[in-house]
Amino acid sequence: MKIVVTVKLVPDANAEKRLDPATKTLDRQPGATVLNPFDEYAIEAALQLKEKLGGDTTVTVFSMVPETGKETVRKALAMGADDAAMLSDPGLAGTDVWGTAYAMAHALKKIGFDLVITGGLAEDGNTGGVPCALAEHLGIPALTNAAKIDIVDGKLHIQRETDSGHQVVQGPLPAVVSVTMAVGEPRYPSLKGIMGAKKKTVTALTLADLGLERPVGSAGAKTEVLSFAPPPSRAKGQIVTAEDGPSGAKIIFDFLKEKKLI
Amino acid sequence: MQHVVVFVEHKAGATRKVTFELATEARRLADQLGGKAHAVVLGPGSAAIAEQLKAYPLDEIHLSEDSDVEKFLLAPAVEYLDAAAKSIGSCIILLPNTMLGKDLGGAVAARLSAGMTSDVTEITVEGGRVNCVSPKLGGALITSCTFKDADYGVITIRPNSFAATPGAGAGHVSQLEKPVGNTYAVSIESDVEEGSGELGIEEAPVVISGGRGLGGPDPFTTLLKPLADALGGAVGATRAAADAGWVPYSLQIGQTGKTVSPQLYLAAGISGAIQHKVGMRSAGTIIAINKDGGVPIGEFADLLVVGDLFAIIPELTKLVQEAKAVHA
Repeated sequence: MKIVVTVKLVPDANAEKRLDPATKTLDRQPGATVLNPFDEYAIEAALQLKEKLGGDTTVTVFSMVPETGKETVRKALAMGADDAAMLSDPGLAGTDVWGTAYAMAHALKKIGFDLVITGGLAEDGNTGGVPCALAEHLGIPALTNAAKIDIVDGKLHIQRETDSGHQVVQGPLPAVVSVTMAVGEPRYPSLKGIMGAKKKTVTALTLADLGLERPVGSAGAKTEVLSFAPPPSRAKGQIVTAEDGPSGAKIIFDFLKEKKLI
Repeated sequence: MQHVVVFVEHKAGATRKVTFELATEARRLADQLGGKAHAVVLGPGSAAIAEQLKAYPLDEIHLSEDSDVEKFLLAPAVEYLDAAAKSIGSCIILLPNTMLGKDLGGAVAARLSAGMTSDVTEITVEGGRVNCVSPKLGGALITSCTFKDADYGVITIRPNSFAATPGAGAGHVSQLEKPVGNTYAVSIESDVEEGSGELGIEEAPVVISGGRGLGGPDPFTTLLKPLADALGGAVGATRAAADAGWVPYSLQIGQTGKTVSPQLYLAAGISGAIQHKVGMRSAGTIIAINKDGGVPIGEFADLLVVGDLFAIIPELTKLVQEAKAVHA
């Protein structure tokens, strides 16, 4: 059973993030990117599944990423994935949700899989639409927001979170499964894992390997960024010290009345 | 000319406020684009929802009571929405930015070769083009984005960002035909509601949120919940509180959780780290209670009360309950 985990590199939450004013695409400087935090949960889920299933189950990490992202992909390998494949091509610059899902689908068909596991959301683009779009392009079902994944008799059994609670769903393989943080805290790479990752295979793919029929990158994008700006900053308000419960409550209550919130 | 289609999310005939926000916005956009405002309602309970939707200025309401929509995951809804969009013609599809809305939006956008923009808080039309404002990079940047020349566009909208205003419309109701030749692969074996009948935190006009300062799970129910009830709101939490298992992840607000824009956000025992701030900074008014006056939230809250939240909140709850009783 071959599990492929798709990961994305996003700007480090602790580093300054910016869009390149000229191209209006994300300025992905080397060193300033990390694994999308949501995707670490996808890797964790895949590794848990591999441990549970045993046998010849393998975990491959796939990323659509500039070559400078190779070291970040190694982090996923250090966590315990068996090998990796990277799709890197200057022609991918400016790719939107549609093109991402389309190119990824072709790359995944090329490398082969029984199960694709993704994070629920990329922290940077914040669309959350890719897992289902990917499944559509692959022509297989999407089982989204999984908290628990089991495979019994070749069928997927998933407990998934919904907006109002949870569901248990059952579906066939192959499929795309997206996970939530409820799958469990991602493991830290061990020293042995970090050393071992250097020897693992990272297959390099370019757009030429995929033979796409439709354009991707800016030319194929269905959306276009017009402008961007930092969010409006909030002014510093009042800071008041409350002597006791009743006086603190009174301060807030009066404030709510003043703001006509009550 | 482009039409606008609202996907109506509901559970067995119970919908949420965001549906009416979408319906109101659909009318406004359709008028500017020279098209019609449509809604698509799927699954058991659709007819009842269609009746409620008639109070909003929609031209066409398309429905199907097909029970497959609640028996199988996503696929039936994707089929119906895709077919409806194709029969309506060039259109902008509006969905709520919920778990279901994002899933369905991604799938339908792929089918229609459409662009998708998520978590949108503002929409404008200029020269027949639809421009969407939405936060990216965990709220660090606000982008304005448009659809390139294409027949279809998919937008998921952040609840509480648009007004819900009733108004007259043709409200013509029609039945959608069942898509033929499909077998659905993923069956829903069980469906459990947690905290049913309560507002989701993304839609609540008031959010009372707790962090590490609450010290355990109990204060969320004994302290925050009564205040949230008194103010007609919902309880939220920080990632630390969710990670500690004090509350379910569905209540988590912030970078890796939900983004909320309530009229009032009250943060109890929350320091206001950037990861939390990005999930709530678009709230109308932010009030914080913290024992430490030097916490980061003091830099952007409208009011920071430095004091003991365990003493203040019960008293505040009483004051609010009394005020409501007088007005009742």
